[in-house]
Amino acid sequence: MNRGVILFAFNSKKYNYYDMAEYTAKRINHFLDLPVTLVTDEQSLPAYSKYSWDEIIKVTPDKNNFRDWGQWINKGRYQAFELSPYEETILLDADYVVNSSKLLKTFETYNDFCCHSKTNFLMYPDAPQEVLSAYSYETLWATVVTFKKTKRAEQIFQCLEMVQKNYEHYANIHSFVAGTYRNDYALTLALRIANGHCVLPGDYIPWDLVHVGRNTQVYKNNDDELDTEYTVIFDNWKKGKIRKEYITIKDMDFHVMNKDIFVEMING
Amino acid sequence: MDTKTLIAEAKARFNHNSAKAYLAEKYKNKLIVAEQGGLWKADPATISFLDSFDTPQLVLIDTFDNPVQVYRKELLEKLKQVYESTMTEWYIEWKELEGKR
Repeated sequence: MNRGVILFAFNSKKYNYYDMAEYTAKRINHFLDLPVTLVTDEQSLPAYSKYSWDEIIKVTPDKNNFRDWGQWINKGRYQAFELSPYEETILLDADYVVNSSKLLKTFETYNDFCCHSKTNFLMYPDAPQEVLSAYSYETLWATVVTFKKTKRAEQIFQCLEMVQKNYEHYANIHSFVAGTYRNDYALTLALRIANGHCVLPGDYIPWDLVHVGRNTQVYKNNDDELDTEYTVIFDNWKKGKIRKEYITIKDMDFHVMNKDIFVEMING
Repeated sequence: MDTKTLIAEAKARFNHNSAKAYLAEKYKNKLIVAEQGGLWKADPATISFLDSFDTPQLVLIDTFDNPVQVYRKELLEKLKQVYESTMTEWYIEWKELEGKR
């Protein structure tokens, strides 16, 4: 069974997602020993890069999505099923820091589709799980999605396309703000629809997605590009004052929510 | 600036509880084992339960709540091995962490 990872990266005015994807791809090659395919557009590709992708697939992205910091080109993730050259694929966010072989375990634990249903914030272990709204579901996470090329997985991605294309409608039903399109929300709804509004525990990765969230900084402990040791510093607000707290982590995958932190990590 | 200087200049304090939670998160998933068509947790309860029988085969509820018929001895051996190696790693890192108190 051939396996690989697919990353989507479209540069915006503020962030160079290609650089993020290349950084992540090198770590995937090293820790997971899997080939990586990049889905991108002509504008995001640099004129020259030493990195050798397994495949580069150029598409025309839908750029019509914005968040507080600017343009966010994250639509079209549903194309992963069709575009992936692999029989078994891990669809990964470009800002997911691979520090171990943990993701390989998803191939052992799933049937044909799985994603994270629970998250854990470093330095904020008791953070509540995010919900679409007070009247809706707990959010699933599109950060890591492992799938096989089966009919059911295809249906899930088709549902994802349907939800993306009718996002306002679903936002109305589930009482969340439709202003910014989020793959996490679309995936939450798509998986429910595809499963006949049932929960299939086998669709969930049996460990938490670790986030580096707000007020948290991550620093590499060494300059080695593939080093896995970091210092995490957290601004703990107490009685109007900031108390800085830190821990060191080693060999642990995490997802960086703040892109500025990720860019700093890439640049050392 | 190296991270030690950064910590010193920021007057940051080591957060023992967060470090403990990080270790638990890191090692919890290493205790998960996919074996004989089911998904298992190499925890003391499952290991003790398997050990308390003497039949070659047994039906167990896996972590996805599915009943799975397993070869008891083989699963027991696998879970014991995963438990031992994971907990040893966890313990070593925990001792390092305790030293930071």
